[in-house]
Amino acid sequence: MGRALKKMFKRNYLFTAGVIICVFWIVMAIIAPIAAPYDPVAQDMTMRLQAPSAAHLFGTDNFGRDVFSRVIYGGRYSLLAGLITVVLAAAIGTFYGAIAGYVGGKADNIMMRFSEMIMSFPSLILAMLINAVLGSSLFNTMFALVIVAWPSYARLMRSVVLSVRENEYVTASEALGASRSRILLREIIPNSINSVLIMATTDIGNQILMFSTLSFLGLGSAPPTPEWGMMVSEGVKFFNKFWIAGFPGLAIFTMAVGANFIGDGLRDLLDPRLRKEF
Amino acid sequence: MMKKKFLAGALVAVMALGLAACGGSGSAKSESGAETAAAAEGGSTLGSNGSTVVVAVESGFSTLDPGYVYEKYPPLVVNACYETLFKFNGKDDAPQPSLADSYEFSEDNKTLTVKLKDGITFASGNTMTSADVAFSIMRCKNLKGSPSFMCDTIDSIDTPDDKTVVFHLNTPDSGILAKLTYASMSVLDSKVVKENGGTDAADASTKDTAQTYLNSTSAGSGMYVLTSYTKDEEIVLDKNPNYWGTATNVDKYVIKLQGDANSQMMMLSQGDVDVAMNLTDDTMAELDGTEGVATINTPTKSIGFLMMNMDKNIGGPVADPKVQQAIRKAIDYPGMRTISGSGSVTPNSFIQVGFLGNSGERPDDYRNVDEAKQLLADAGYPDGFDINLDVVSDLSLEGVAMTDFAQKVKDDLAEVGINCNIVSRAWDGGYGEDYRDGKLGFTVMYWGTDYNDPNVQLPFLPGQEVGLRAGWTADMDPELAALNDKTLNATDNDARAAVLKEIQDKTYENGPFIVLTQAPAHVGYNTRLDGVNFSDPYALDVTLINIK
Repeated sequence: MGRALKKMFKRNYLFTAGVIICVFWIVMAIIAPIAAPYDPVAQDMTMRLQAPSAAHLFGTDNFGRDVFSRVIYGGRYSLLAGLITVVLAAAIGTFYGAIAGYVGGKADNIMMRFSEMIMSFPSLILAMLINAVLGSSLFNTMFALVIVAWPSYARLMRSVVLSVRENEYVTASEALGASRSRILLREIIPNSINSVLIMATTDIGNQILMFSTLSFLGLGSAPPTPEWGMMVSEGVKFFNKFWIAGFPGLAIFTMAVGANFIGDGLRDLLDPRLRKEF
Repeated sequence: MMKKKFLAGALVAVMALGLAACGGSGSAKSESGAETAAAAEGGSTLGSNGSTVVVAVESGFSTLDPGYVYEKYPPLVVNACYETLFKFNGKDDAPQPSLADSYEFSEDNKTLTVKLKDGITFASGNTMTSADVAFSIMRCKNLKGSPSFMCDTIDSIDTPDDKTVVFHLNTPDSGILAKLTYASMSVLDSKVVKENGGTDAADASTKDTAQTYLNSTSAGSGMYVLTSYTKDEEIVLDKNPNYWGTATNVDKYVIKLQGDANSQMMMLSQGDVDVAMNLTDDTMAELDGTEGVATINTPTKSIGFLMMNMDKNIGGPVADPKVQQAIRKAIDYPGMRTISGSGSVTPNSFIQVGFLGNSGERPDDYRNVDEAKQLLADAGYPDGFDINLDVVSDLSLEGVAMTDFAQKVKDDLAEVGINCNIVSRAWDGGYGEDYRDGKLGFTVMYWGTDYNDPNVQLPFLPGQEVGLRAGWTADMDPELAALNDKTLNATDNDARAAVLKEIQDKTYENGPFIVLTQAPAHVGYNTRLDGVNFSDPYALDVTLINIK
């Protein structure tokens, strides 16, 4: 796998680009205090709505805040929200789906109907509802996104487990007298995790977009947090000052695209049916 | 098969023709716009030409029936088609007689006698009598619609003769004349309205069926008549041929219900509309230097304010009067006005600039960070404190989000050591309920006026509706609380202005409300027009506009 990954870096330019973009944003978010020239929330009413210049690379917003610094700091919230949401949703979904698929029968039926019930709600509306009830904060928004996101992982996992559990090595373990939980944890989940992994990478971009959408609607983190989605939503009012909404928008776009590239690359690598000669 | 192909070909040809036609008319229009408006004197409803004036305004017209009108922009139309007993002309702070010839309050201020002018006719040709006035106002009262509360103080109306209307009030109401200027108090042609299902009886709320009729046409004595209304698209007003007074030289108004500031800016600069009512600071800047376009920045009566709960259990540190003074000293008022947009002002207190009795604007150098810190130290918070600042995420003050004001407050207060944690919720996500129930400790909110009279601000007094939301009960300041009734009793304008000044003096440095800004309206118009204005009661008073 290590060699294959190396090969991919060489051959699959999109994957490489995706990795570079994501690493770039993550590094920027980590070193934000060093990388950002200004305090992201410091207002300066004398420097409002300045166009991009050497002093302010991405210009300034309505409150005279440096958009460049805000975009760099913004990664801390948007990326964190995207990653944590995906990790939690994937973890919950994986176990839930694996149990449902492996146990089967009535329990499977009940569990999957429950997850479908959640899926049947329009996801954005459901997230807004949860957020509105709990009040909007970074944590509550992530919670809402996890609630909305996990059922798709559960479904995927179950469908994979249904075929994996028919394998001979599962039967062999059962014959050896392994407990059901051991089989689930040692045999089934490790052999089904690939597709979830691929879905999760692709999903990071979606979750960042979803988080941004909620912030855009005023339901994400509270102002003046420099969160990408919220910056776009505050900036669209200033139609002729493209830089206020444009640069954070660009950040969301590149991050979502980068994560998707990685997801695509991983799928090529891990899915034997799609594996090509690189 | 052949036939199908032919049909498809024909369809394509027709579409191409249609597109070409659209393109053609489009370019012709912009050319005529460039050649200045005088060129085309035709009767076209589009573009700025001839004696038609096109106005672009935000949508949100649930009805044009005066009895129900309560939203912000419908009074623009109602004021064009109907008239009221009294009216605000231009920037007047007191209502002037319009249909009324003279008026008189009784000794106990509980009876108002109004004499009508002679020779007033409706667009239908009927003569206006006192019966029409009584019908219209009692209809508004009995419809029990949104504006009916304005008739609450009116007990009954007598019409001793054709020209005299006697209002019997159940309590002295110094705001009654201003209430009578409101669009809902428009005098309707009672004969026509009754023929179309209207009634002023006590059961009007269930029996009256005239709304449909009044949504499609008007039945008033105004300068214009409503000829068509397409929901969320446009409203057309034609000149009233039977107008009893002196009319302007505008023959027709087309009101486009298109609220987006950027679209309005484009249409105005291309000459497709003559007046744009909902511009923003940003779009106004774009229009700077556009030939033939002028702009108006003027304060509205809408205010943004900071509310600090007087109840210690809810407000915590901000319930302390000293802390309230400190916060008042810490706010950067000129900065607030920058956020709120050019044309905004900072009134001394919650009686807006432009209202009768307003005592002026808070000086720019009122801010004093050192004094604020000293006040905080006196109150026992030398290092400041942490507090939640509630804000509603989905409401805005004349286009500026409430969260913008909250961010500015946070920044200002940080300088004196008060650390605000902004908690943003949607109105329906719990904020609205908490605000109404007085459960918010520290919040930024806005307030728009119902009708154009300073009495609409009395709810901010202790023991009144808004005051109670800040936990400000009457017994906390009985002297100030008593000024509510005193204002309502003062039907003499000078006496009332004096009481209102007293209210402002008492709340200039104290109390749970800090008015952050009085928001502006931004209106752009084609300079071929004369008399374009922004007025709070009517948004745009079309009866003052002439073509040069």
